Amino acid sequence: MMGITVRGLVKTYGATTVIDTISFDVADGEFVTLLGPSGCGKTTTLRCIAGLDTPNGGLIAINGRVVSDAREGVFVAPHKRDLGMVFQSYAIWPHLTVAQNVAFPLTVKGERNTGSAVGWALDIVGMTHLAERRPSELSGGQQQRVALARAIAARPQVLLFDEPLSNLDARLRDRTRLEISRIQRELKVPALYVTHDQTEALSMSDRVIVMEAGRVVQQGTPRELYHRPVNRFVADFIGSANFLEVRRAERQWHLADGTPIQVDPLSDAGGTEPRVALLRPEAIRLDAGSVVEQNSTLNRLTGSVLGAMYLGPHIEYVVAAGGAHIRAFSRLELPPGSPVTLTFAADDCRLVDDTAASPKRNPASDYPRQSPILENIP
Amino acid sequence: MRQLNFRRTGSGLASLASPARLLRAVARLPSAVALPRGEGFGVLGVIYAAVFTVVALLASIPVVALVLGSLRDSAPGLPGHWTWANWANLASPGVVETLLTTLEVAGLTTAFAMVIGTALALIIHRTDFRWSAAMTAMLGLSFYFPSFILAMAWIVIGSPGGLINDVLRDGMGIESVSVDIYGVTGIVFVMVLHQVPFAYLTMRGPIMGMDPSYEEAARTAGASPLTMLRRVTLPMLSYALASSALLSLVMALEQFGIPVLIGVPGRVTVLATQIYLLCRFPPTAYGLAAAIGLTLAAITAAAILLQRRLARGGRAVVTTGKAGRITPIPLGAWRWPANLFCGVYIAMGLVLPSLILLYTSLIKFFTANPFDAAFTWRNYVYVWNSEATQQAILNTMLVSGGGALIGVLLGAACSYFTVRLQPTGYRVLDMLVMLPFGVPGVVLGLGLLWAYAYLPVPLYGTLTLIVLAYVTRFLPYATETAGARFVQLDRSLEEAAWTAGASRQSGVWRIVLPLSLPSLQSGYFLLFMAFFREISATILIFTASTSVLSVSIWAFFEQANWGLASALSILAMILMLAVMSLLLWAMPGARQR
Ligand SMILES: Nc1ncnc2c1ncn2[C@@H]1O[C@H](COP(=O)(O)OP(=O)(O)O)[C@@H](O)[C@H]1O
Ligand SMILES: [Mg+2]
Repeated sequence: MMGITVRGLVKTYGATTVIDTISFDVADGEFVTLLGPSGCGKTTTLRCIAGLDTPNGGLIAINGRVVSDAREGVFVAPHKRDLGMVFQSYAIWPHLTVAQNVAFPLTVKGERNTGSAVGWALDIVGMTHLAERRPSELSGGQQQRVALARAIAARPQVLLFDEPLSNLDARLRDRTRLEISRIQRELKVPALYVTHDQTEALSMSDRVIVMEAGRVVQQGTPRELYHRPVNRFVADFIGSANFLEVRRAERQWHLADGTPIQVDPLSDAGGTEPRVALLRPEAIRLDAGSVVEQNSTLNRLTGSVLGAMYLGPHIEYVVAAGGAHIRAFSRLELPPGSPVTLTFAADDCRLVDDTAASPKRNPASDYPRQSPILENIP
Repeated sequence: MRQLNFRRTGSGLASLASPARLLRAVARLPSAVALPRGEGFGVLGVIYAAVFTVVALLASIPVVALVLGSLRDSAPGLPGHWTWANWANLASPGVVETLLTTLEVAGLTTAFAMVIGTALALIIHRTDFRWSAAMTAMLGLSFYFPSFILAMAWIVIGSPGGLINDVLRDGMGIESVSVDIYGVTGIVFVMVLHQVPFAYLTMRGPIMGMDPSYEEAARTAGASPLTMLRRVTLPMLSYALASSALLSLVMALEQFGIPVLIGVPGRVTVLATQIYLLCRFPPTAYGLAAAIGLTLAAITAAAILLQRRLARGGRAVVTTGKAGRITPIPLGAWRWPANLFCGVYIAMGLVLPSLILLYTSLIKFFTANPFDAAFTWRNYVYVWNSEATQQAILNTMLVSGGGALIGVLLGAACSYFTVRLQPTGYRVLDMLVMLPFGVPGVVLGLGLLWAYAYLPVPLYGTLTLIVLAYVTRFLPYATETAGARFVQLDRSLEEAAWTAGASRQSGVWRIVLPLSLPSLQSGYFLLFMAFFREISATILIFTASTSVLSVSIWAFFEQANWGLASALSILAMILMLAVMSLLLWAMPGARQR
């Protein structure tokens, strides 16, 4: 099978298990992202695939060849895995010129005529004019491109990226994101990309694997993860989220203050214990005053503005409603204390598992009322 | 983002400060992470086995030989019996008194050298002192000024028949006051002069590397420069001070050249010289010397262990690596005292001794008044034409030039394994390398003397044995300079080579070696200089055909031939300066900070 296969991967350092039995695949030509908070084991997973760390358990195969199998004692050295890898620190060798850096994967295999391959790789990243420069004479963004060119120069079978954009400024990051996607599609090789940045993960990937504390929590397309997160952790990590505590009374769900609320029936398995409902701020319409009109498919809550944060495109409001603090976006300018109405569809309010593994946290109710970041609108 | 900078800082003699880096490095903890060991590592595996064996032999042979020797009642190589008597004799009044003298001398030396060295570092690097570059260069030079030559110069100046007394008696007719360097005060005085550059170099790094924001915070909180120095700077440097003081103490404990030249005529014995006397003058007691040697080694090793623990705890506190521009403290009214302080040290530690030796080497009979002196080249002519001297020069160059190369290669290989690859047993290797670091030179020489009297290897009386002794003694210099670089080199630089298709060997060859060349060069420079002026490890194992310059100079001096000794010292120092310049010119890396 082409692509990367990981089965039951385990990595421990002393007594701590850093990777706890994870399995996933990256199909040929697919762009897959490992997403998770810092320290969850993304880099370690990538390094195991590259052969820079030795797994303590499980199996890794690249394009059908088993490169690491803890039980059988198989371990293929990194240089025999035919990889292209971009490091977080770029790892551009300071004693070699840009062209020599890019030529390295070729010359190390004994190839003499590296000119055209180096030219091709530098052309792809738009660095041809700087081929004779030293790394110390390059900006961060340029070094990043050299690292990219070096990773693809020998036309490897897989591409690995370890947070390659984390050292760039926001604008450059946006541009390079597009570029990496384009290059990977051009090369048609499986790519595994590690990041803690949800925007990168959502915008570049065919599929995203969300990790937490050494385990895979959910895998799926960016859309699936955003719309159908399996639990509160994923919902919180991808996009912004309100979590509403709801309890059932006579087939009807109620908010903390007893307001009845309709939830997505597909997410409702029919239990009777208290649950948590996910409500994305962007799914909420915020109107000034109290809107009285009734509509059976829409939820409607009245409340008042607690605080606001000006974000440019819109204003993020924290609204006290239904016995909770709910974040919602609007372009209206409303002073604190204003009465408002929140409207949202039942389908946008999904019951999710409140995982015990992740620290319990409700971003909305964490909002400090007298915080300096809360702007009082006159 | 990490940028490796290849710009060469400083120039020439102004930055012969590699010892500072070395000493910073001695304090470091290997923080590297284990690498995959899944695959047997071929060529590197063979090299590892070889390096391990060589280092294990180098480090353990003299130590084991000492232990066995301390249990014998005869000289090395002669028939004898096993005995505990040598260890029992450690409690004899003579040995105990020597131990106390040793501690007194070493303690006083360390205290004075630390105060003066730290003061110099603060003046040079923290204030608006005008002559910083010149002072740094001079202190670098005095660091390389051999201790026994310094002692000789000060004997010429301060002995009963020396310069000062001559001036007092004949020049001014004063009989009541006289100076006698032959005593504890004299030894401490010269040892302080000798060790100030070391204290300066070890304190300079922490002082320069201190995050300026701590001091700026003190200033903005209303502290005057002096208050800041007292309440922020010095307390923050306390770990560095303690660790530097411990290393100074080790150096003072094992110092041989100065106490042997000044102490023996003055009947002041320290442990290092007692070992030498017990082996060289009848009735000899090699076994007792071995027991004393092990005791001395245990003391220095304890100090080193303590130092490493301290350095480990203190590193994070002081330097954050963001050394920035620090606003110099204005000296104001202290400018002239500061200038005077620096000037007096350089005069006494470097200029005066050199001039005195030059003068003594050019006169027929000693007199303090240059107008009475009969000037002559005959000392130089004699030394130049002497076959023994020529042999010694040749030997010195061979031992220093070739031995330093061996030392650097071995040290770099060790560091690569202990810092980077960390294969099975690397901790043992790390420990073995450091083992001889606490063993004073004389003790090491004695160990080798014991070992090669019994081992069926015909090494006694060869230059190889001297190279072995030097490499063993100074291997930590090489491993620490190379290791510091390996630790600093971002791991991913090497990993990127592996993922790009390079094997371990070719990663080392194409990435690690080129990137560490500067520190290998400065390691070579350090070793060359250390080998060139080494005397303590040689004094017990040289023979007529394997004499080196340091031993020849010392032999002339022992025969009370001040003229010849001075002439050869001057020649040796000219040679040393020439080689220094040549090395610095040929190896830009040795110049780097
Ligand atoms: N060499 C190591 N020794 C001990 N623990 C390690 C080592 N490398 C990583 N870890 C631990 O493993 C966990 C996962 O690290 P990593 O894979 O780098 O996380 P991520 O890349 O997701 O931020 C962290 O808790 C880290 O402290
Ligand atoms: Mg990481």
